Amino acid sequence: MITPEWAAAAPTLVLGVTALVLFAFDSIDPESSNNPVLAGIAVVGSLAAMGVSVAYLVAGVGDPAVELYGGQLVVDGMALFFQVIFTSVTALVALASYDYLEDMRHQAEYYILLLLAATGMSLMAAAGSLAVGFVALELASLPSYGLVAFLKQNRGSAEAGLKYFLIGALSSAVFAYGISLVYAVSGSLLIDAVAGSVRNAGQPGVLGVGVLMVLGGFAFKTASVPFHFWAPEAYEGAPAPISAFLSSASKAAGFALAFRVMTVAFPIEGVVGAVDWVLAVQVLAVVTMTLGNFAAATQENVKRMLAYSSVGHAGYVLIGLAALTGTGDGGLVLGAGMIHLLVYGFMNTGAFLFIALAEYWGVGRTFADYNGLARRAPLACVAMTVFMFSLAGLPVGGGFVSKYYLFAGAVNAGVWWLALVGAVNSALSLFYYSRVVKAMWIEEPAEGVDVSSYPSTLYAAVITAAVVTVVLLPALGLFSGFAFDAAAAVLF
Amino acid sequence: MSNPWIAIGALTLVSIIIPVSMVVVSALLRPSVPEQGKTAVYESGEVPTGDTRIRFNIQYYMVALLFVVFDIETVLIFPWTVIYRDGVQQFGMAQTLVPMLVFIGVLVVGLAWAWRNGAVQWVKSTRARDTAGSTE
Amino acid sequence: MAEITAFAPAIAVLPFVSFLVALFAGKYLPKKGALAGILAMGGSLVLSLLMLYTVATGHAHQSTLYTWVGGEAVPYELTFGILLDQLSTLMLVIVSLISFLVHVFSLGYMNDEDEGGLPRYYAELGLFSASMLGFVFADNLLMAFMFFELVGLCSYLLIGFWFREAGPPSAAKKAFLVTRFGDYFFLVGVVAVFATFGTAAFGGPGVEESFPHLAELALDGEASVNTFGFAPRTWFTIVGLLVLGGVMGKSAQFPFHTWLPDAMEGPTPVSALIHAATMVAAGVYLVARMYGFYALSPTALAVIAFVGGFTALFAATMGVVKREIKQVLAYSTISQYGYIMLALGGGGYVAGVFHLTTHAVFKALLFLGAGSVIIAMHHNENMWDMGGLKEEMPVTYYAFLSGSLALAGIVPFSGFWSKDEVLFETLIHGLGDSPLLLGAYAMGLLAVFFTGFYTFRMVLLTFHGEPRSDTARDPHGVRWKVKGPLAVLGALAAVAGVINLAPVAELTGAHIDFLHSWLFHGPEGLNGEHYEELLEGVAGYHAAYPLGETLTMLASAAVSLGLALAGAGLAVALYRGPEPVEHTDKLGALKTVLFNNYYQDEYQVWLAEGLTARVARAADTVDVSIVDGVVNFVSSLSLFTGDRLRRVQTGIVSNYAALLTLGLTLLLVAFGVMQGWFL
Repeated sequence: MITPEWAAAAPTLVLGVTALVLFAFDSIDPESSNNPVLAGIAVVGSLAAMGVSVAYLVAGVGDPAVELYGGQLVVDGMALFFQVIFTSVTALVALASYDYLEDMRHQAEYYILLLLAATGMSLMAAAGSLAVGFVALELASLPSYGLVAFLKQNRGSAEAGLKYFLIGALSSAVFAYGISLVYAVSGSLLIDAVAGSVRNAGQPGVLGVGVLMVLGGFAFKTASVPFHFWAPEAYEGAPAPISAFLSSASKAAGFALAFRVMTVAFPIEGVVGAVDWVLAVQVLAVVTMTLGNFAAATQENVKRMLAYSSVGHAGYVLIGLAALTGTGDGGLVLGAGMIHLLVYGFMNTGAFLFIALAEYWGVGRTFADYNGLARRAPLACVAMTVFMFSLAGLPVGGGFVSKYYLFAGAVNAGVWWLALVGAVNSALSLFYYSRVVKAMWIEEPAEGVDVSSYPSTLYAAVITAAVVTVVLLPALGLFSGFAFDAAAAVLF
Repeated sequence: MSNPWIAIGALTLVSIIIPVSMVVVSALLRPSVPEQGKTAVYESGEVPTGDTRIRFNIQYYMVALLFVVFDIETVLIFPWTVIYRDGVQQFGMAQTLVPMLVFIGVLVVGLAWAWRNGAVQWVKSTRARDTAGSTE
Repeated sequence: MAEITAFAPAIAVLPFVSFLVALFAGKYLPKKGALAGILAMGGSLVLSLLMLYTVATGHAHQSTLYTWVGGEAVPYELTFGILLDQLSTLMLVIVSLISFLVHVFSLGYMNDEDEGGLPRYYAELGLFSASMLGFVFADNLLMAFMFFELVGLCSYLLIGFWFREAGPPSAAKKAFLVTRFGDYFFLVGVVAVFATFGTAAFGGPGVEESFPHLAELALDGEASVNTFGFAPRTWFTIVGLLVLGGVMGKSAQFPFHTWLPDAMEGPTPVSALIHAATMVAAGVYLVARMYGFYALSPTALAVIAFVGGFTALFAATMGVVKREIKQVLAYSTISQYGYIMLALGGGGYVAGVFHLTTHAVFKALLFLGAGSVIIAMHHNENMWDMGGLKEEMPVTYYAFLSGSLALAGIVPFSGFWSKDEVLFETLIHGLGDSPLLLGAYAMGLLAVFFTGFYTFRMVLLTFHGEPRSDTARDPHGVRWKVKGPLAVLGALAAVAGVINLAPVAELTGAHIDFLHSWLFHGPEGLNGEHYEELLEGVAGYHAAYPLGETLTMLASAAVSLGLALAGAGLAVALYRGPEPVEHTDKLGALKTVLFNNYYQDEYQVWLAEGLTARVARAADTVDVSIVDGVVNFVSSLSLFTGDRLRRVQTGIVSNYAALLTLGLTLLLVAFGVMQGWFL
């Protein structure tokens, strides 16, 4: 517990205030692109928010859950855990952007949008009602559209932003419609109250359509099939740090809301008569994993490959929901999903930031362009190797443990075939991840690429992500407790 | 009891069949005389000029957006003023006044930023500038 | 006093440290890591001697250092531990002594000759010694196996030291592959031991359950072990023979001996180390180490004896015609290890260890002597280009002569005493109810003659007569680093026999068979006395003396000495004089056969290429057409599907919206039908 109670929302507030500070700074001096100060404010703000959320998590503020504004906001272990993910990714991205945005215009707007999106994500994790969830989702999404299109003069970026926006609008509509149907059945928007009235509700058809449509909204945010179409384009067109931000933090935000709404508002034993959403998630998980990994295997463009692999990873995390069959330890598998998102937050962000580094150097986009890069930038390539292998699930980084937890949880819940599909997909993913490693370390370097400068903050961000990824392998034991407890608290 | 969905299904079917059949029948019966005037855009009898796709000045959107923001602000402030006195009595000054001040403060920051960044400064498009320059 | 054993691991750790030092800092050290190696081996030698003393004062020791698999859940423990008893401390002293001398000699052989890659050389030498020492004091079969493999790896590295030339890498590969072939059996044997007994401990003070002891109890019906449906004795024989596979590979016993002559491609000090104290010795040491297990199975013993006897004779005949000095020595090594196997198989545990000891000394001496000659001859190894070196290099000559006399088994040099005891033990056990052993004995005896012959042929061709080439006329001088070790070993080769003058003891009644009493007073279950009981009681070995004990012994000694002298005499008669003739040419077709090593290499190459490769090719065909076909199909299917999926991503946003809506609708309809929303 914490007094005053509203202080429990501090991580969100800190992010929002940081955005306002950036507004104020830009209002005072709109023409200048004072890069260090802007990046500094953003990094300090997100680090402060991270510090607060870690401190809350450790101090046990979320246990028991703090309910604010009549249950509109719920700050519990899961919310804080996810806020740690968002804020750390935001900090890394802001840090890396300092070099990436060098000599570009509208930098203040970039950082403002970044922090507003982070605020929205943080709010999503703590949303206690469907309405707050929807508003928070929009708060996270709208700045994202702008960020994807940030490179205005770049056709790819502008196009990706527009596509993202259109698909996003469609998905939001589906989501909002789903919420309205759920409200129609349950008569409430508070997810606790929804849980109470959906049990044996009168109109199973209406509820079922509503639940599936809400699920569709989450699928959009998490880039799961069939709402994933925006993802490859948006990730490829966006500035690389933004791709990192979207594919890590934004995806995690979608899962944060999905985990809470699906488990709390629609407890499976209560709604199974209307809609067996666990089965739906299982289908989505399998299709998402398979489609993401198979499509990634045929890409020639590294950034696009990572985009599809990010879709694949959404499929892995969906196991966290798909294995809530009622048998086995639900807290274990849901917690495993959260842990995977944490690890993924670092390794995937790091991988995209490495792409940002490559773009900074003017290295091309295909695998072949990465040939021999290790000779020019060995340190960064070591980091990238760590990311790739950790993403594939080899025991060089935390990705191994979190995947292991996920698959173990799935087996434990009796859906061993999900784990099997996941394992097969992991094996396939090793193929395309190792292509990057092979290109960097084994192939002969291509002519004409000149790695002349070593941007310090971009490097720092990549290396930090790599170190955390590696450290999480042994240190995950410390975090996993929080995740499992938080997950169990949400479930029961 | 027959299933009510049957009636809905029948209605859907009929509502699809009628327009489709009308289009098909007329396509079969009518003579085909293509003519330019038939394909032209109908603008209340006026002779159409230019393209349908016109770029409006972004400034319209800017002003519209700012208007929407403050419109909604007003919508929120009105009920607040109505209950303000009761609220102060019941919850005290801090609980009643401060949230609204924060809310307005945030909006002010946004407005100031938009103002400083030229959202309310009317910028002529390059074409407009060019025509203006040529008349002088 | 017992605490001194706490330092025992340092015996292996010191050379390991020198390995690290030479590997990482060798470049910067004055002698490229040699001094570190010498210091480390000196330390190991001192510690080994200390351990020997500790054991001599009755403090045999066994301790477990590290348990890497164990606990309640697993049925057995996998541990690292050390066992210091009479046998292992003796071997530790031998290994560290030889290794120390080889390090010193290398200063002369490698450093003074300005060879490249010296840090690598000393690093590998250090690791080699460390692995062998670790193998020697291992207290269980699994640990022994692991170090056994390390020894194999290091010998691979060292034989292939000059990897830029054509021969060494191929020889190294051959050594590695052939010994590996044997080690497969060994590995299966180790697993079998674990599966059978649940422990692989050799025994020692304080060890309650060792696998030889359990096997013994099982034969008496006092313990039950898992014998996989076989009678216990049959099963123990099978396990013993499996482990023997590794032994035969490492100790170069027929038919796995082919790698050893090729291994001469390595630097000569390495050959000395491999032949005298490490790699090859590892095999027979293992038999001695688990002798309590072999003693339970007369079949296994007979196989060991026969393989040993046959190898002794077989290799000796091949040594007769060789031209290169190191080739002769290589075959003599094979032959001498045959003797050791013969002794162990023939029930002469002490004799086997005795011959192992003396052989280590005189074979190291001979190799280092050969190394000295090779330095002098500017790395020309052909004996027909030598001659007359006696005058030019007296120290080498006399040391080499001492070693040769020992090798040939001429009284009173050390080799005589040990070889005599080997033959004697086999003879008396053969005469007592084990007639099979007599066959092995006959082969061993015959080999004595050949040994005498090739040894003296080598000495005469190398050192006597007129120089037959320019280099022989003006040899390269050698320095103290070469002469020092030679002198030490020369003296030892002459007198090392005193540790076990069994015939003299028998005649005079004085207790001067020290090795005998040494090995008979080991810890319970690990001493010669116990082994003798087992041989008597379980394997059915009895000693018989048709001429009375003393007379039998004297007769046996006389016969073997006579044969050795005859062989030596024949060599002297043939190759004496300033200009010896290639008498072996007179052997005609036989020479060709001998020269080609009985076509052993050829048939093994045929086995490898004609048979294995063909089977492999057939398997490959299956693999390529069926297995690969399936795999390729799966992968191309994946890529094809991936490609299709990629095309769904058209880039047109309205398509996306359509697909998205379609997907959602599909989901809704499917669930609607399934859950019955429309009813």
